[in-house]
Amino acid sequence: MKTNLSGILTLLLAFVVHISFAQEKTISGMVSDQSGLPLPGVNIVVVGTTNGTQTDFDGNYTIKASEGQTLLFTYIGQKETRKKVGAGNSINVQMEDDAQALDEVVVTAVGITRSQKGLGYNVQTVEAEAISVKPNADLVNSLSGATSGVQIVSASGEAGASTFITIRGSSSITGNNQPLFIVNGQPIDTGGGDSGTGGVNTSNRTIDINPDDIASLSVLKGGAATALYGVRAANGAIIITTKSGKNLTERRIEFHTSIGVDVVSHLPARQKKYAQGQNGAWIGGNADSWGPEISSLEYDGDTSYRWDPNGSLVPKGTGNGTPAQYYDPYDFFENGYQLNNRFSISNGTEQGDYYFSMSNLEQTGIIPNNTYGRTTVRLNGSTKISDKITFGANMAYTNSRSVQIQKGSNVSGIMLGLLRTAASFDNSAGYEFADGTQRNYRNGGGYDNPYWTANNIAYEEDVNRFTGNINLNVQFTDELSLVYNTGIDWYNTKYTDKFKIGSRAQTGGYLGEYMDFNSVFNSDILLTYRKDISDKFNMSATIGNNFFSDYNKYLFGDATGLEIPDFYQLNNSSANTTSTATANYRTSAVFADLQFSYDDMIFLGFTGRNDWATTMPQQNKSAFYPSASLGFVFSEIGDLKSDFFSFGKLRASAARTANIAPAYSTSNYYEAADGGDGWTGDDNGISYRFPYQGQTAFFVDDDLGNADLKHETQDTWEVGADLRFFKSRLGVDFTYFKNVNTDLLMPVPIAATSGFNSVFLNAASMEAKGIEISVNATPIRTENFTWDLVANYTQFTNIVTALADGVDNVFLGGFTVPQVRAVVGEEYRSIFGEDWYRDANGNVLINDDPTDSFRDGYPMNNTAQGLVPIGNFNPDWTANITNSISYKNLSLSFLIDIKKGGVMYNGTAFAMNKFGVSKRTEKREVYYNTDGSINFDTTPAENLVVMDGVYGHVGADGEVVSSGVANVTPVVQDQEWFQGQGSNFGGGPSIAAMEPADWVRLRDLTFAYNLPEIGDVIKGGQIYFSGRNLWIDTPYSGIDPETNLGGATNAQGMDYFNSPGTRSYTLGLKLTF
Amino acid sequence: MKKNRNITYKGLVLILSVFVLTISCEKWNDSDINIDPDKPSDVSMSLILPGVQQSMGFNLVGNNTVRTNNIWMQIFEGVDRQSFTEGRYQITAADTGNGFEPMYTEMMMNLGIIIDKANDEGVESPHFEGVAEVLMATTLGIGTDLFGDMPYTEAFKGGELIYSPVYDTQESLYGTVNTLLNQAIVNLNNATNVIDVEGDVIYDGDIDKWIKAANSIKARHAIQLSAKNGNAAYTAALAAVANGFTSNDDDMLVPWEEANKNPIYQFMDERTDIRMGAYLIDLLLATDDPRLPFYAEKDDDGNYIGSALRAQNAKASHPGSNLAGSDAPTKLMTFSELKFIEAEARLGLGQAGAQEAYEEAVAASVLRVTGDANTAWLDANINGDPVTLAKLMIQKYIDGAATNQPYADYRRTGLPTLTLASDAVLSEIPLRFPYPQSELDYNSQNVPSVTLLTKVWWDQ
Repeated sequence: MKTNLSGILTLLLAFVVHISFAQEKTISGMVSDQSGLPLPGVNIVVVGTTNGTQTDFDGNYTIKASEGQTLLFTYIGQKETRKKVGAGNSINVQMEDDAQALDEVVVTAVGITRSQKGLGYNVQTVEAEAISVKPNADLVNSLSGATSGVQIVSASGEAGASTFITIRGSSSITGNNQPLFIVNGQPIDTGGGDSGTGGVNTSNRTIDINPDDIASLSVLKGGAATALYGVRAANGAIIITTKSGKNLTERRIEFHTSIGVDVVSHLPARQKKYAQGQNGAWIGGNADSWGPEISSLEYDGDTSYRWDPNGSLVPKGTGNGTPAQYYDPYDFFENGYQLNNRFSISNGTEQGDYYFSMSNLEQTGIIPNNTYGRTTVRLNGSTKISDKITFGANMAYTNSRSVQIQKGSNVSGIMLGLLRTAASFDNSAGYEFADGTQRNYRNGGGYDNPYWTANNIAYEEDVNRFTGNINLNVQFTDELSLVYNTGIDWYNTKYTDKFKIGSRAQTGGYLGEYMDFNSVFNSDILLTYRKDISDKFNMSATIGNNFFSDYNKYLFGDATGLEIPDFYQLNNSSANTTSTATANYRTSAVFADLQFSYDDMIFLGFTGRNDWATTMPQQNKSAFYPSASLGFVFSEIGDLKSDFFSFGKLRASAARTANIAPAYSTSNYYEAADGGDGWTGDDNGISYRFPYQGQTAFFVDDDLGNADLKHETQDTWEVGADLRFFKSRLGVDFTYFKNVNTDLLMPVPIAATSGFNSVFLNAASMEAKGIEISVNATPIRTENFTWDLVANYTQFTNIVTALADGVDNVFLGGFTVPQVRAVVGEEYRSIFGEDWYRDANGNVLINDDPTDSFRDGYPMNNTAQGLVPIGNFNPDWTANITNSISYKNLSLSFLIDIKKGGVMYNGTAFAMNKFGVSKRTEKREVYYNTDGSINFDTTPAENLVVMDGVYGHVGADGEVVSSGVANVTPVVQDQEWFQGQGSNFGGGPSIAAMEPADWVRLRDLTFAYNLPEIGDVIKGGQIYFSGRNLWIDTPYSGIDPETNLGGATNAQGMDYFNSPGTRSYTLGLKLTF
Repeated sequence: MKKNRNITYKGLVLILSVFVLTISCEKWNDSDINIDPDKPSDVSMSLILPGVQQSMGFNLVGNNTVRTNNIWMQIFEGVDRQSFTEGRYQITAADTGNGFEPMYTEMMMNLGIIIDKANDEGVESPHFEGVAEVLMATTLGIGTDLFGDMPYTEAFKGGELIYSPVYDTQESLYGTVNTLLNQAIVNLNNATNVIDVEGDVIYDGDIDKWIKAANSIKARHAIQLSAKNGNAAYTAALAAVANGFTSNDDDMLVPWEEANKNPIYQFMDERTDIRMGAYLIDLLLATDDPRLPFYAEKDDDGNYIGSALRAQNAKASHPGSNLAGSDAPTKLMTFSELKFIEAEARLGLGQAGAQEAYEEAVAASVLRVTGDANTAWLDANINGDPVTLAKLMIQKYIDGAATNQPYADYRRTGLPTLTLASDAVLSEIPLRFPYPQSELDYNSQNVPSVTLLTKVWWDQ
């Protein structure tokens, strides 16, 4: 591989040396606009050469060219102009305004293409080229920071980890909040990636798309943009069109290869001073690192102590002289590598076109044995059956495969075992003894050695996916056309989940085997009639019909307690369980779309769609969803347009969209009996199940169905302005939106004493409103140098306005404490946990009562008040700025991404406190007098801290007694504190672990050299370097705060031994033949 | 050429129209698609019963009840993490949901369905109804002893749109327990029964044993009112004892197996945060009690050591095979407990037979735990030693390890005498479990406001 690559590079460099043969003369002239004013900065090139220049401030230029060659004049907002060089030496050019230049065409709902100019709502497009060079397997990661209004969180930096994307906040309390993905008109399944608090991070199925196949990507954000998708429209939509051979004049072969390295980014700081043990004494196998100073210990060399090759630790001078030392557990992380090869061939003629591509990605993670691989094949083609009939087909096959490693709150989790490891223990000195038992810092108990986890536990997933659609386009007359597009998205997921005997989470060994089948079918027919009623008045009308079905079925079997070690087969156990479930639903719809435009100035659109859904009860199957939008290009009025002001549009829209109930919510069933106690059990927390004692059993489903459900409603309003200045070199786009969701469907939690845990109701309401601002600018544009800037700013609130009667909050995910909830009157997804005792002014009480059970000088957890809101992950605002600078053939593009506001539960650090391994536990040394007061003579002064708050205590009846006087009592955060209220395990309140999760990051940086045409073979290409997360500034003390314990789930903002994020460096080469 | 093209159009339009029409909307949106093919809409009683029994064995006498109150009773000692925190009597609404909720959603809800089905016309099955009533009373009895007032009369009626049921007083729940057990005894004695009890993992459908169980549970809750009702409680208990269990073979046990291991075993396997408490271990060591090797494992040095109160001694003995073996059954009620009840009642009434019942109780306990009569040890330590309430309650406490009964007895009698944890956050050992967060959140209008030191009714 290496040899091949360098060979190609050498070859390329040889071609770069370019020799031109010409008998040149100097041409000069002046370029002006339609009104005769000189145009500065017009690009002029000699076609077929790299020879080019720009007009000066007075519109004058000079360039060398030979007779017979052609000069090409280009300028934003002006029509391209070509002039052949004749015998003379002077060429003056008057360029024409180009209305089309402002008229970018975007793909909107149900595949209808429209001019950006007339849209009555905000649609942003993302440049396909930018997606292709970013080193992300999942294209969703590459959309981070590319637009406004879109929020993306990747679960971790593991290879194949999930991403979570929402547009303009959330519209469902407990259901799906991620947008609809449409590829070539076919809705695709993008589920997956919801991993719970333990287990492994799995991929979203957006990862199955080869980013290089993408030709265009539009982000439909609001209701008016998506209204034609009816019941699937509430979360916005990502509309992807893949490449074709259209518009090609000759065969085009593209080869794209890249090689990348991932390294672990932020990690929590650890104390390096104290050894394993309790109360200053070394205890081998102990959970904690509250032992003596490492520098005071040495090994005794006792080989009968099997847990350490050097023996037990003893005080210095009593052992063999080999000093104890701090072992850095972070040595565990490796460099991750990715090798990505992409190939495509395409061509087009009058009669048809094709695009064929293949790609292969192999990626290893920063955690040993974590891998992701993807192989894709795509064939898109179309042919003209006659002048008026075009038939096309798109087919794609993807194989996605990954090996994922245990994470999170899980005794086999990588970070859990790694971060808790005592400072004086070396995980890397062997994880398995010759007899197959485990070596870990807990002397065989506790948590898995991370090396054990990475080598002896594997979750191996394999997805085979076929997506295809056919389309027929009949142009009956110039005015009447028909489009028929139907297709399928089929995939099968299988995984095996293997735990070697001796794994802490499955001490007897374990095998889980899973297979599912997922099928989406979609059919759209659109009949469109376009009519230019007069010169100025145009209309188009579309009527259509849609059929859609979604089917999922899985089979799962597992074996707990393996008889033959290392043999992973379901029969290799006497304890098997099986499960299966189906989810199937269909919808059908009729829809209409009416568009009017007047004088390129007023654009008025109406849509209406009626949906029928099988998941709804018979009487409420049907619902109607309308929208209206207006685009008013006021710059067309009179003489408004000038050199300063190029374009202005106001837009307004309103729409109603919706969501439907999941399958089988309208009635009640029995389900296989099983359960858990919240402490033990398998990945799903199941501790007891059937078969049991040779029996099977069922419970009545504790989620009550409801035969009176109706469709949800989302009403959206949007107004905006699109303003362009300086001949469109500066553009500002402003949008205000408001979404009001009512009758939201959800399983409403009810008191378990009702016999049920939930009832399905149209219960909740939610509201999102905010602004989006986008700025496009080209501050500099000269012959050789261009600087483009794109910035986006997003600010919105997303408030839960109502839940069901008597319910003021709903569990979304997390732990018993803390947990993520939807709470009435609060931002969606509040984190709930315990708080300190506080006085009426919100000051934390610092205990001043020597007679009670709390320590004086420290705050106290108010367990009596239960769980209260303690923060929210949602940002106050986000912004991103992409600067693209190009000089001749070099270009540099970098994306700075800013998230301001939002907090995260750093449960990792909170738990590390108890174990005495976090950095903050290092200042623990303290000496007390016999009366319990601190001995200030012997206690190191730097260890003294004054906890923030006011003196007070809890009265006899549990009431708060505050003195209102600020605390000045110095204390030491010692073992008793950190094993008490200074950690979650000691009963400390979760609020103590809430940390700001703001960031400013250099999310993407791409430096590229565009290759010129080399001989007849290589038509062009690019060599690039691309980096991701090269720099992050954050107050968060743990791993990269772009993380989530549960992966792609509504419960965001939780970090509990999450796997860390990464920094990536990629080198790539693209060649076009 | 033109003609041909027109034919092509017509053909295509025809094909499309046919396609659209054949998949007519009604057929495409057939309501039957919304019937879950993988879940039954109805099941027989014998397919509900074992699920209830398994859940009772795991939850009612498992981690979220027994582990916590046995830490408070110093049978276990929480040496790390949450168990350590519970050891200072710190337990909140967030901690009790996993223990409280299955009583309603898994146990009593489904028992109510069995009782309804057993009354279906034409297939009346009083035996099934009786079994369900015994289990309902067992669940409600243990539940109210832990939580006090609980919903019953309006409970399990979510299907009738009662989403937040009112709470019944513990006094009325005690009446309900008694009524359920009386009905159960009548039903179990009914000779006309259509559907035999099947799926029963406790007694394999042995109706005589269920009748004994009904009487034994009656005795448990009769004696629990000793402080409230005095002699009447003893008399009622003795009346029930007379028809209760007659040997260890009658014990009401929930079995565990490879695929479904004992709950404390699973906790130790995955969490490991408890050890045996020094108080219990020292009691057993003092008399070289033969139950010791079954209650505790040896530590690394080959000794039986209990972790001293709050000492976090992780090297102390792990719970032994009888309490936490992977297939150790969990105990809903035992013959030995019944004999202790009899001994206490006779002692309280000053009746003859207290000594015999006490000796039989300990003998039954030793035999059940060790599999051996251990007569010599009994003769040396128990038999002939005049019984007192204190001795009796100590022995009942030892016998009741890994059940909820020591905690119920302790609050009723104050025995055995336990010291308060040094870092206690309360002035005494909690007098009840707090209501779970789900009730505070979703039934706030009905859930009583209590603290951990609010006495339950029979303790008042």
